[in-house]
Amino acid sequence: MTANIDARADESATERQDAGRREVFQYAIRRFGVYLFTLWAAITVAFFIFRLVPGDPMNILLGNLTRAEGRQRDAAAEEAIIAHYREIFGMDDPLPLQYVNYLRKAVLGGLDLGPSFVEYPAQTKDLVFRRMPWTLGIFTTSVFLAWLIGTGLGALIGWMQRHGLSQLAVILSTLLQITPQYLVALGLIIYAGYTLRILPAGGPYARHLQPEWSWEFISSLIQHAILPMLSNMIVIGAGFTLGMRALMISVLGEDYLTFARAKGLSPFTVLKDYAFRNALIPQVTGLAIIIGATLNGTFIIEILFQYPGLGTLFVQAMGLRDFNTMQAIVLFSIFAVLTLTLIVDLALPLLDPRIRRVA
Amino acid sequence: MRNTSIVVGIFMLILIVIVALAGPSVVNSLIFPGERPLMRGSYRPYQLDSPEHPIGTDGDGRDGLSVFVSSIGPSLQIGIIAGATATSLGVIIGFVAGYAKGRLDTLLRILIDMVLVIPTLPLLLMLAAYIERWDLYKLSLILGIFGWSFVARVIRPQVQSLRERSYVDLAVLSGENALEITFLELLPPLLPYIGYVFSLSIVGSMLAEAGLQIIGLGAGGLPTLGFMIAKGFRESVIAIGLLGQMLLPAGALIYVFLALNLINTGLDEVFNPRLQTTVEGE
Repeated sequence: MTANIDARADESATERQDAGRREVFQYAIRRFGVYLFTLWAAITVAFFIFRLVPGDPMNILLGNLTRAEGRQRDAAAEEAIIAHYREIFGMDDPLPLQYVNYLRKAVLGGLDLGPSFVEYPAQTKDLVFRRMPWTLGIFTTSVFLAWLIGTGLGALIGWMQRHGLSQLAVILSTLLQITPQYLVALGLIIYAGYTLRILPAGGPYARHLQPEWSWEFISSLIQHAILPMLSNMIVIGAGFTLGMRALMISVLGEDYLTFARAKGLSPFTVLKDYAFRNALIPQVTGLAIIIGATLNGTFIIEILFQYPGLGTLFVQAMGLRDFNTMQAIVLFSIFAVLTLTLIVDLALPLLDPRIRRVA
Repeated sequence: MRNTSIVVGIFMLILIVIVALAGPSVVNSLIFPGERPLMRGSYRPYQLDSPEHPIGTDGDGRDGLSVFVSSIGPSLQIGIIAGATATSLGVIIGFVAGYAKGRLDTLLRILIDMVLVIPTLPLLLMLAAYIERWDLYKLSLILGIFGWSFVARVIRPQVQSLRERSYVDLAVLSGENALEITFLELLPPLLPYIGYVFSLSIVGSMLAEAGLQIIGLGAGGLPTLGFMIAKGFRESVIAIGLLGQMLLPAGALIYVFLALNLINTGLDEVFNPRLQTTVEGE
């Protein structure tokens, strides 16, 4: 009899687990659908914003060309050049057709985003793929490290909130958090790079080196990446520290912490298993929120450090009014922000059993 | 309600607004009577700090202190105009979305989310390149137009939750129309929150403006703090020894951000009673 009841209880437990798993699966599918739709919609909006900007890029390009040549304007030749480029870029078609063509090529043509001006006739796609690792490398490493350090530090500061050092840390992080990333970058370039000369402050690696698997190259690569990453990390890390501190303090007032302490658990166990875990979930959501803004900041930092990422490419492309390349970079940024947010969102149910059951 | 951080923040802001408004003429009449310290070539360029030129002269032969003092105003103006534009657009859209349930809300929510993920910096850079003659108002409006989505995103859920309160139901039953409900019932309790968002928008706009100037593609020639920092960087004034010409404008920017941050912390405490109880509960 009892065995029977046990078996039934087991059964309903596995059933519940199955239902839970199905719900997580449905959540993932729904979230993915929203992701695809937002991706499409954002790309569409970006496409039309690019087209609605006043001024014909061809005229500007031509102006640059004639100025560079220092020649008198030759109307017939100009017409021919404009017609040629307009054809390459498919700009004579009506706007809706341009849009459909763009999407069709991008989706069905294996990310065919057209030729680039910056390095004509190189494909925009290749250009973006070549620069992307630099941006993503700096961006993901610095955000991830900043998140780890900030979360750890914030938890500690929140836990020991009445300690003098904690209060000092709060004031420091507040000041750092409101400082713009590019000012930190400028400060690092001027002091660490030029005045103290501890670390290189420009370019991806030393000029005399070639990319290869040698210790010299890799160490140069790392040294050149430190300052750009630090500019990002200091500001974001300070933000995460403050965020985690606030979360920690709000968790500290909860009854289950008092209970855990009353049970006689060691302070470290209480901190690790009771306070930290519960404060962690909103902190992961916070990670998703800052991704977009930080990518913007990374672009500026790249430009300041002459780092060969997408931000620098964008500035080059803009100098030539290279429509296709600029658009590809915006496309990539949208894709990166949405995908990273999706990953964070999908990771949440793994961290938080409550979402797993409720969602 | 008394809140120290709001008071300190507002005091700091008032101080810098006074400097921005009165500073240029005070500096002019006290230190340079009868001269034109802002004119190019008035003095020998790159002079080191001296009693006549407290932070030296810049590469164009202008007095550094005068340039600094007269840069604060435009920076603040850009922040305020752009912040006000972003906040009003965002509040309108957020209110419409939050108030209207159903399809309109869904549509607006999707629009907000979409605009939110479009990276603004590349678009701003592009606009900066296309527009030939920048003036302060054009730049501020464009910055504001790019900033609304964030405001709408945070205002919408607030309106939604307020709308479900029973006093709003009561107002509906007593025959108030949508406009009356919006302005009499929903807007007043949200004002501190809107102030909070406004201040965040000011920070965002000033940040974006200075960022554009510093990477050298912004509104060239607009005499803002960002422009002064960018110019100082290009002329490597630190290496020459003219520390003040970069540290002062950078410090002024951080000062404004700190003041707004203090006001925000205070408004957050006013608006979010949960913060008060946890602080007191500890």
